[in-house]
Amino acid sequence: MDRKKHRIMMVSDFFYPNFGGVENHIYYLSQCLLKLGHKVVVVTHAYGNRSGVRYMTGGLKVYYVPWRPFVMQNSFPTLFPSLPIIRTILIRERITIVHGHQAFSTLCHEALMHSRTMGYRVVFTDHSLYGFSDAGSIHMNKVLQFTLADVSQAICVSHTSKENTVLRSGLPPEKVFVIPNAVDTAMFKPAVVQPSHSEIVIVVISRLVYRKGADLLVEVIPDVCRLHPNVRFIVGGDGPKRVRLEEMREKHSLQDRVEMLGAVPHAQVRSVLISGHIFLNSSLTEAFCIAILEAASCGLLTVSTRVGGVPEVLPDDMIILAEPDPGDMVLAIERAISMLPKVDPQVMHNRMRELYNWHDVAKRTEIVYDRALKCPNQNLLERLSRYLYCGVWAGKLFFLVMIVDFLFWRLLELWQPAEDIEEIPDLTLPHISNKETLQETE
Amino acid sequence: MDHHLASDSPQVRPRWRKVAYGGMQPGFDDNHTDESFLEGMVMNANVVRRDMLKVMLDSVSISEYLCIVALVVLVWTYTLESTIDENRLLCIDVSLLVLGFLILLFTQEKISLSILVHHYFLNISFFIMGLYVLAPIYQTLTRSISSDSIWALTVSLLVIHLFLHDYSESTVNAPGALKNPALTSCISVNASVVASVFIASRLPSRLHVFAIMLFSLQVFLFGPLVTYCIKKYSFRLHLCFSISLMVVTLSFVYMLHCLLFVLLLSLLVFVNVVCPYWLIRIQEYKFEINGPWDEAKLCFAITD
Repeated sequence: MDRKKHRIMMVSDFFYPNFGGVENHIYYLSQCLLKLGHKVVVVTHAYGNRSGVRYMTGGLKVYYVPWRPFVMQNSFPTLFPSLPIIRTILIRERITIVHGHQAFSTLCHEALMHSRTMGYRVVFTDHSLYGFSDAGSIHMNKVLQFTLADVSQAICVSHTSKENTVLRSGLPPEKVFVIPNAVDTAMFKPAVVQPSHSEIVIVVISRLVYRKGADLLVEVIPDVCRLHPNVRFIVGGDGPKRVRLEEMREKHSLQDRVEMLGAVPHAQVRSVLISGHIFLNSSLTEAFCIAILEAASCGLLTVSTRVGGVPEVLPDDMIILAEPDPGDMVLAIERAISMLPKVDPQVMHNRMRELYNWHDVAKRTEIVYDRALKCPNQNLLERLSRYLYCGVWAGKLFFLVMIVDFLFWRLLELWQPAEDIEEIPDLTLPHISNKETLQETE
Repeated sequence: MDHHLASDSPQVRPRWRKVAYGGMQPGFDDNHTDESFLEGMVMNANVVRRDMLKVMLDSVSISEYLCIVALVVLVWTYTLESTIDENRLLCIDVSLLVLGFLILLFTQEKISLSILVHHYFLNISFFIMGLYVLAPIYQTLTRSISSDSIWALTVSLLVIHLFLHDYSESTVNAPGALKNPALTSCISVNASVVASVFIASRLPSRLHVFAIMLFSLQVFLFGPLVTYCIKKYSFRLHLCFSISLMVVTLSFVYMLHCLLFVLLLSLLVFVNVVCPYWLIRIQEYKFEINGPWDEAKLCFAITD
């Protein structure tokens, strides 16, 4: 069955050289899609001096559009002025599908809006969970309703995330696909020589912020150290709550039992993980936790809070869940310590290779793209009426925004016709045979 | 492995599971929506069902405070017109102080006379002395500003004060309570104090300034405490007090100006009748969603 090859544009504010869940997802997914024979182009904003067109491994072309990040790595929301550059990239690269990532990214919303105006098929992936009651979430959900009013298909990274997205945006559930993230098991291998079990090491690597449960750590670590004299903690990561952890260390005199590493660069995460036996994740909300996958791939037993999509991530014998309550977490850690002798890191790593695979994610995403292309391309008036359902006042506002966008596009077609924009030939790399490793070389 | 093997019965596909691992579940598409979709969602879990009469009775405390502020503005107007001279103003101040003390003594059973003397009386004496010493500063504060600006500023500050005032009385505390006031209630207190200073600076003599400042600050700073004590003591007393206050205010405003009387009356009707009805009408549209996607709430307090 010869599948049609797509030409995909991934667009998001979050990409390399930043490291994080969304960035890694886009990078690995793009690499696997390139291996499958599709063409992938990534569009993001400029990072410092890094502006213009760059090529990454496998011929992945990245457009660092010269806009400065405005707040929290997002570019400034300009609404209409981004239409010319997006249109130029879409025509130059002969794109067939536009894939936006992360509801928090303004560039993603703008690019999806312009792509829809120009009639391209649009897919959106949501990576986070949001609430419904605070002011920030209410506005974010309205913007999401606008973007998803006319999207071809949507992808969520876990079933809980699908429920959340469907409630926030009002999409029919059949339009939302659940395709989880995966982990590069070739990079996260367990240690060749296992650390001995005489001293049990618990590893924590996360940003030390409220959302990631740093306050729970402050309560849990002293209790565990008191109950189990042979347990040691390694805490990697930095953030506003680091001060509280240092204070806890001083107050209970745990300087030799709790090691604070500070911010750990992504390349060194594996070496920190393989020095431990148990991985502790205390976040208060997670759509999908890639850190848990990395830990399991390195052969660590995971203890985590039962929040969001975490219960769906690993089978029950590789993870121990606890309520986000210090007493319950201490009990869960005790159970993990007692389960530790039965855990074989290499067996766990081999299981992870079967359970999570980026190539599988790419194949499932390909099915979504095929489905998106089959969607009927309705004419403008039918599509515009969908925006009116977004709300009494907001619907009319969105309607007007789309009309202005359409008129601006028509003006651009007259002023800068599509025939004048040269289509660039594809870059063909010499074929790299049978290489499975996905290293980032720059 | 983690999938059910299909070898037991080829026609029956394995059950769909709410898991993310193991790739695509055999027999199901990725966009398969199970019957268990959204079964963890809880709607309107924390919504309070309101009763019209109770809401109207609760709104009486808002109109009571509106009347108190109206009375203060009335006294300001009469003082600026020199209808009330400074001696009568001082008498009003002293009588208000005594009345306030009596109410506190009457309504707080736990407070004995000695605590009252030590805690309240001493502080208030220091306060009065400080005010008297600083009165000359207030008198010359706004000499270079025109009267129109002063009236406009005072009105806007009073509107801000009314808007941001903490009507739930969570900031008023008996001695010993440990509650941090919210930002908006601090802003409202400051707005009322600044408005009082502006009005006081328009008066001719030092004694005038002292008397009007004492009166305004008495009402704005201690008024909420007194009304809170009355309300806590007996709801019927609170209701009688509020209604009599409303009647008194309305009659005084009527004597001053007819249009203002109509405005005040319509405002009181709006607050007491229209707003409760409106609130209960729109409560039907309340839609609160909770579920497994919510951020977990910490059950312990974070002490820094």
